[in-house]
Amino acid sequence: MSGVPLVFYLGVSAAMFLLGLLGVMTRRNPLLLLLAVELMLNGANIALVGFSRHWDTTDGQIFALVVMVVAAAEVVIGLGLVVAVFRQRLQLNVDDLARLRG
Amino acid sequence: MSHLNVVAALPLIIVAAAGVLAMGTGLFDSQRVRRYAPTGVAVAGIVAAFVAIVVLWGDREEAFGGSLRTDRFSLLLSAIFLAAALLVIALGWHESAAVDRRGEFAGLIMVAVAGMMLVASAGDLITLFLGIETLSMSLYVLCALEVWRERSLESGLKYLITGAVGSAVLLYGLALLFGATGALDFATIGQQLELTGLTADPLVIAAMALIVVGLAFKASAAPFHMWTPDVYEGAPTTVTAFMSTATKAAALAAFLRIFQGVLPELAADWQAAIAAIAVASIVIGNIAALVQTNMKRLLAYSSVAHAGYLLIGVAAGGIRGAEAVAYYLIAYLAMTMTAFAVVIIREREVENGEQLEALAGYGRARPVLGIAMTLAMLSLAGFPPLAGFVGKFLLFGSAVEAGMTWLALVGAAGSVVSLGYYLRVLGVLWLGGREDAQPARMLAVPGPVLAATATAALSIILLALLATPLIDISRGAAEALLAP
Repeated sequence: MSGVPLVFYLGVSAAMFLLGLLGVMTRRNPLLLLLAVELMLNGANIALVGFSRHWDTTDGQIFALVVMVVAAAEVVIGLGLVVAVFRQRLQLNVDDLARLRG
Repeated sequence: MSHLNVVAALPLIIVAAAGVLAMGTGLFDSQRVRRYAPTGVAVAGIVAAFVAIVVLWGDREEAFGGSLRTDRFSLLLSAIFLAAALLVIALGWHESAAVDRRGEFAGLIMVAVAGMMLVASAGDLITLFLGIETLSMSLYVLCALEVWRERSLESGLKYLITGAVGSAVLLYGLALLFGATGALDFATIGQQLELTGLTADPLVIAAMALIVVGLAFKASAAPFHMWTPDVYEGAPTTVTAFMSTATKAAALAAFLRIFQGVLPELAADWQAAIAAIAVASIVIGNIAALVQTNMKRLLAYSSVAHAGYLLIGVAAGGIRGAEAVAYYLIAYLAMTMTAFAVVIIREREVENGEQLEALAGYGRARPVLGIAMTLAMLSLAGFPPLAGFVGKFLLFGSAVEAGMTWLALVGAAGSVVSLGYYLRVLGVLWLGGREDAQPARMLAVPGPVLAATATAALSIILLALLATPLIDISRGAAEALLAP
């Protein structure tokens, strides 16, 4: 096999995964948490594609495509929940604003 | 091998179709259709899937070119998921979340069941991951179904974040396993590991560790259980009941499928790891449950402890271990569902009905529900001759047989500690409150709810009486699981 050796794929993939994990553990904003989780999933995707090239099969790439769909669905649900929470909080804030009205 | 063989996937297809249909009927204009159709479609789907399971019961068949294995193991587990779904849909008869959003409630429960069936019958890594994600995502939404309650939303969001981290860790483990063997289907991975002696390969060891951690998140086993009490408390109680029974069964199915079915070569390594997680779950779950005053949190910690007992069976391995896990999952379904059913009934009558003190004297006022709760608590604690005792006997017995007597002793010690909180519930239930006063505000229990509660409570006794045939069925499932 020519081109970039497998080790480099794995290095990038592990770095992305660990950065994502670090993000999940340190961040407190739900949007950033979702981003960090995406980073973890994509780290795994790079490993899958790298291994797929190493073994000269397309299986890993198919898996990576499935993971992308799953990740997209996860973000949709996550954003939906964040919006729902925000709406609840917003209602409270609107009440506060009403009290300030001259 | 290369043909579709749709018939073998029939239970899965029926459940998924019923889920989509139920969700669709929840959108109709007519209030009458919205009220009855989703439940009707879901129940019809469950019954049809049960029939398909009985018809298909037999030797292994493969569908979709080997991605899906229909064998006794997957069929037995599918029956457990379906039973849990049926009970939960009945219990949700008058719950506010379920009434306003019946289509979503019934539909998502069915989709979650389809995901669980996918996990139990997975024949390759993609199917396994897809199944776990399908069930998790339905549950994220189900947790947040009461959108007007901030606690419910918070529970959904918390579960989403921790669940997604668990999924990502699991996925990385699966990716490394693919990297080490170059195959995605279980049969080839098993052969590769057997032939090449890759068992000491750091890639395989790392894959195994990540898979254990990822699945432990899903099974809410300690030390990856932090989300469990918060999510269980915030979610609608019917959803909590479904999560603690069906989801646990699905996670254990994944444990058994991967570790006993695919990685038997590495048994020495994963047995130690899983035994450590089992001990942590038993210790942390039982001790934390002792100080809870909220029934949902108490049952959450109890479910962490039970994940530990179940993992003893996985760690013990072999046919005896898998058989014990399968039997205990059935028993655990009956007793946990009964306990949650009583909490659900009380919760609809008074505010803060999920608190332990809301049950004070409830047994005296409502002997039928009191007896149901008593059966559930005694069975969870492992009192003979109830189903929980038979299950624990099998689990601990399999550990002793595998030469892990110390693990069985930890489990037994945990059961003794668990008496502390199970008996406390019974004390409050029968002796709490003032002798002459009735508990506040009692409402009539709707028919389906009462029927589900009674069925689950009676099953606790029946499962023990019918232990011999059930253990035979569980053994058939375990043999199918271990067959190459």
